[in-house]
Amino acid sequence: MSRGVVTYIVGRFLQSVMVLWIIVTLLFLLFRLAPGNPIANYIDVNFTREQELNLLARFGLDKPLHEQYIVYLVNLFKLDLGETFSYAGRSVLDILKEDLPNTIYLTLSSLLVAYGVGVLGGIAMAALRGSLFERVGTTFTLMTRAAPTFWVGMLLLTFFAFQWKLLPSSGIGPALVRYRWETEWDKLMSPVFWRHMILPTFTLAVYLHGLPLLLMRSNMLEVLDQDYVTMSRLAGYSEWRVMIQTAARNAMLPVLTALTLGIGYSIGGNVVIEVVYSWPGLGRTLVDAVQESDYPLAQGAFFLIAVIIVIMNFIADILYSLLDPRVGASAQAQVS
Amino acid sequence: MSKRLIRLSLMITLLLLMLPAAAQDMGELVPTITVHSVTQAERPIEYETTRLVVENMRELGLDVEHRAISLLQFFDETWYSRVEGEGRVEQPFQMTAWRMVGRPERSEPDEFTYNLFHSSVRDGGYNFIGYNNPDYDALAESQRVETDIETRREIICEAQHVIRNDMVNAYFVHPLTPQLVNTEVFNADSVVTEAGIGVQNFWNWINIEPVGDERNIITATTSNLNVLNPLEIAGDSPSRVTEIVWDRLMRINPDGFPEPWAAESVVWEDDTHVLLTLREGMTWHDGLPVTSADAAYSFEAALAGKMKTNDDGNEFFRAEAQDYYPFARNVMDIEIIDDLSLRLTLETPSGAFETSTLSKLNLIPKHIWEPIMNDLIADDGADVDSIQEEIPIGSGPFKFVAYDVNEFALLASHTDHWAAPKADGWLMNVLPNLEAMLGQIQSGEMNLLWEWPSDPAVLKEIADNNEHLTLFTETSIGFQYFAFNLRYAPFDDVTFRQAVAHVIPQQFIIDNLYSGIAAPADSFVSAALQYWRQCDAPLRSYDFSIDGARELLASAGYSWDDDGRLLYP
Amino acid sequence: MQQEAMAREGSSGIPAAQFRQGSALRQLWATNLEVFQRDKMALFGLIVFAVFALVALLAPQIAPNDPLIPLKDANGDWISNTLPYWLAEPGEDLEEGYTNTFLLGTTNIGRDIFSQLIHGSRAALLVGFSAAAAVAVIGTVIGLLAGYYGGWVDTILMRAADVAFGIPFIPFIIVIAAFFDPSIWNVVIAMAILLWRDTGRVIRSQVLVIKEQAFVSAARVSGASNLRIIFVYIAPSILPLSFLYGSFAIAWAILTEASVSFLGFSDPETISWGFMLQDAFLSLALTRGAFYWIIPPGLCIMLTVMAGFFIGRGYEEVLFPRLRRM
Repeated sequence: MSRGVVTYIVGRFLQSVMVLWIIVTLLFLLFRLAPGNPIANYIDVNFTREQELNLLARFGLDKPLHEQYIVYLVNLFKLDLGETFSYAGRSVLDILKEDLPNTIYLTLSSLLVAYGVGVLGGIAMAALRGSLFERVGTTFTLMTRAAPTFWVGMLLLTFFAFQWKLLPSSGIGPALVRYRWETEWDKLMSPVFWRHMILPTFTLAVYLHGLPLLLMRSNMLEVLDQDYVTMSRLAGYSEWRVMIQTAARNAMLPVLTALTLGIGYSIGGNVVIEVVYSWPGLGRTLVDAVQESDYPLAQGAFFLIAVIIVIMNFIADILYSLLDPRVGASAQAQVS
Repeated sequence: MSKRLIRLSLMITLLLLMLPAAAQDMGELVPTITVHSVTQAERPIEYETTRLVVENMRELGLDVEHRAISLLQFFDETWYSRVEGEGRVEQPFQMTAWRMVGRPERSEPDEFTYNLFHSSVRDGGYNFIGYNNPDYDALAESQRVETDIETRREIICEAQHVIRNDMVNAYFVHPLTPQLVNTEVFNADSVVTEAGIGVQNFWNWINIEPVGDERNIITATTSNLNVLNPLEIAGDSPSRVTEIVWDRLMRINPDGFPEPWAAESVVWEDDTHVLLTLREGMTWHDGLPVTSADAAYSFEAALAGKMKTNDDGNEFFRAEAQDYYPFARNVMDIEIIDDLSLRLTLETPSGAFETSTLSKLNLIPKHIWEPIMNDLIADDGADVDSIQEEIPIGSGPFKFVAYDVNEFALLASHTDHWAAPKADGWLMNVLPNLEAMLGQIQSGEMNLLWEWPSDPAVLKEIADNNEHLTLFTETSIGFQYFAFNLRYAPFDDVTFRQAVAHVIPQQFIIDNLYSGIAAPADSFVSAALQYWRQCDAPLRSYDFSIDGARELLASAGYSWDDDGRLLYP
Repeated sequence: MQQEAMAREGSSGIPAAQFRQGSALRQLWATNLEVFQRDKMALFGLIVFAVFALVALLAPQIAPNDPLIPLKDANGDWISNTLPYWLAEPGEDLEEGYTNTFLLGTTNIGRDIFSQLIHGSRAALLVGFSAAAAVAVIGTVIGLLAGYYGGWVDTILMRAADVAFGIPFIPFIIVIAAFFDPSIWNVVIAMAILLWRDTGRVIRSQVLVIKEQAFVSAARVSGASNLRIIFVYIAPSILPLSFLYGSFAIAWAILTEASVSFLGFSDPETISWGFMLQDAFLSLALTRGAFYWIIPPGLCIMLTVMAGFFIGRGYEEVLFPRLRRM
């Protein structure tokens, strides 16, 4: 790794930290816009003024805005996201710690399926370019990208869960099974959990496979025009070998970057599917928290999702610069 | 924000336009009325009913806004927003859809007669509408101390008349609770339904008998399960859990009358002294024996509190267990006689003490709660409802296994209990999604459905299509109604309230929203409680008629401006 | 579609677009014409929008009933859960005291589904086009300024784009919708605040190329002001690119509005397709097997979103011929 690349990575990292700081500040201001007193929903009608002040002090809301801001930053740094309003006596971090893994499992599994199908589909579309199959296939993919995910989810639910009763309709498993999962590992080892993951994974994959497929297809078409591909053809390699070994390998790189970005965006975008399938993840918690005016929890979930997106954007940038030296050079120019 | 601005400027324009009208000696415009309800997601029927009534109220020349919000927020804007200037929300509520659910202890009429309307429970208690009528207070108090049941019935009839004539609450239905039991899992003959309640009663939980491999009762709720605490009444679903984990001295039997339970005998020595003797050999779920000291402490905890000073500098008493304090308040003295017996001394005689106190208070272990309560009394900010034990300990027929806030509560049979349940376990999932609930009851993932806030016809059809599901229906002692904030105009005027009552299309709601599966309501005493409904004169009726409502308003001096908007007298 | 992915990968991955020379408006017109002439799919998209626009405009004339008021039969009861007349058993309706003329049946509280569908096109198009306009305008202006001036202007604007890329989109809209009164405009505002990022980045990189071209230097020499150069000389060349992003933005806006409505953050007094689906979901349409209620709004969303995609792709193929090779 050259010195230039290291400088670039460090620069990009500092930039990401700054971006995160700005987002966190905006988040702080955004939640001050919340209608009414931020703890209005926490205060009991029987509270005396004194108790109310105590409570304001407990949440640091009695101080001037700039002091609150500093307390907020320091607490974030310590990963102290405050206390929830709607779960008696539990901290925001506590709730989010349970949700985050579920969201990650769902995101990763659906991306894996989507990108697997997408890459293979893209290769097939490129190989069969101009054919009826290709035209129908591409149109179908565009349709899946245009269909609202929750609607696809509703239709799949109707058939697979309610009509044919093949798959469970909601949650991550019956409580009778769930309470025995002491660790995340137990959960992952449980077939029940995977059965519950099938429908939401599939629903998301229906939507997500479009991007890698179209990207792979156009990259393939581009790569197939390159000299080295023509060379391998002339060298007498079979068409499939040319396709897979030479062309596909090179066309994969941008798809990988898109995958990294996809992780970040899916975690923020799974909200609707988590609601349709009652999947206990970050998105559903965010929606519930907003609906129940549990502002600390909503803010915490929002923050966590933003952190993941920024990290993934950073990784994607680095990946891109490492894979494509041209970008590295011009990106360096941008930083310096 | 801008909406408010627009509304404000509109109001100003209107006021200006009204200047000439004012010269003709007409009243002020009745301001915009906000009617609250829960969202369509949480309670579809309540939501649709409110929509309908709001539409009809507009016909009266009122500007009405329907505000549908989630349950937690809903309570904040209604129950917790009673009085102006509390500094928490901009406005106290005006009118809201509301329901009182059927609970066993509510089959004793004292509960609703006193707690819903007595002026002493206006500020923190159930009388959130702020009804304040000294004549009514006298009735509510006298039925409490009256020990002759016939005379008491007459008093309660009179109380119902007063509430109906004053149009304090606009009742519309007692739901006929549709419920499903999987009768392949359970012996159909072992199902116990309670009058006015249905299958979600204590007796059913301990009696229902599994016949196959599935030995657990698996049920679900759509509402929050956010705290399980024997000193807090947190709502319908948490109550289902607390009533079987914590035992009580007496229990309301399926016919609606109290009978000794954890107390083997309840002996009234005179009007104000009662001697209680506990059953022998009862244990807490942690293995320690249940003693009279625990029973005594259960009353002490409910009575605990401290003096506080309010903003005006007046001292007042604040109980730690706000919800249970009213039930224990009548207890003046507790005397422990031996390990198993104790004597309570009441301040005043009470005809409802067995139902409203002995059948209601949870028995809690002194060794666990004494330290907690001492800490609470020492600490100013905290409240008993912020307490959540890791593994709650009671002495009831079911004991805790696992609990995940707002996800599920899992209990197992307390096999040492003298009335141990036939089922091995009891599970309640939180399933906010009704489609999911229907999916689970049909697939067998769930085997008892007791809560159904949506179209009853759907359940009926499901019972018809699934041989393994049996439908139970029961007229609830609970009821659905619109509550008015009686403290403020326009709802401080009885004629106005009566006019609103006239635009609630009761029969239409029953036919269309409940698919005919509901009983019309006109009182806080359900038809299911036959004895207490035997009154000499029928209660006043408010037939659906928009014209009638307008006539009523006109006769009380209300008028309408040129644009048809309602004006105060 | 590829562009959209590339925009997220950083400016440098974007290929240079093919631009025309000549009078600004004429170039724009020519490009637009080419898009719809050579690409049948894009033309199809345009027709779909035209049809829906007409439907939206004439909604009160086309819709046989009010979309919100429950229909009542002769007894005054709601005509609820009625099958579409072409699925219903004949005669059933007359027994109940009404005539079944409902193309798509009625909801559980007797609202006419077809009328709701017609009125729903208004919310979709309103949100779609205003959000797209906002995104395209903001993105274009930011891209122009950042690309032309460079230096600290560029740095600040592009870091702002980074921030916008870091804020989760749907959660942001949910929070905005919850803090303000529910309204379809929340979606438009939130999109305008966040989604200019893709457009801005791509246009900036194109401006970097264009500003080095001879006609720009000539304008500069002849003493034209910076703003004149930006908006008179450079802007027309990149406008087709704004159209491209605008078309995709229509699609995203319609999809997003549907999702937000489905989650219950929309104004219940405004009928939209997303709201219809939420209503159906909550009213147990799945259990009732009321496909006539669930399928049509979804199809309408799909159709309009696809129209946006097709038009966007049409522009993509004209502007980036490299992607065209088949």
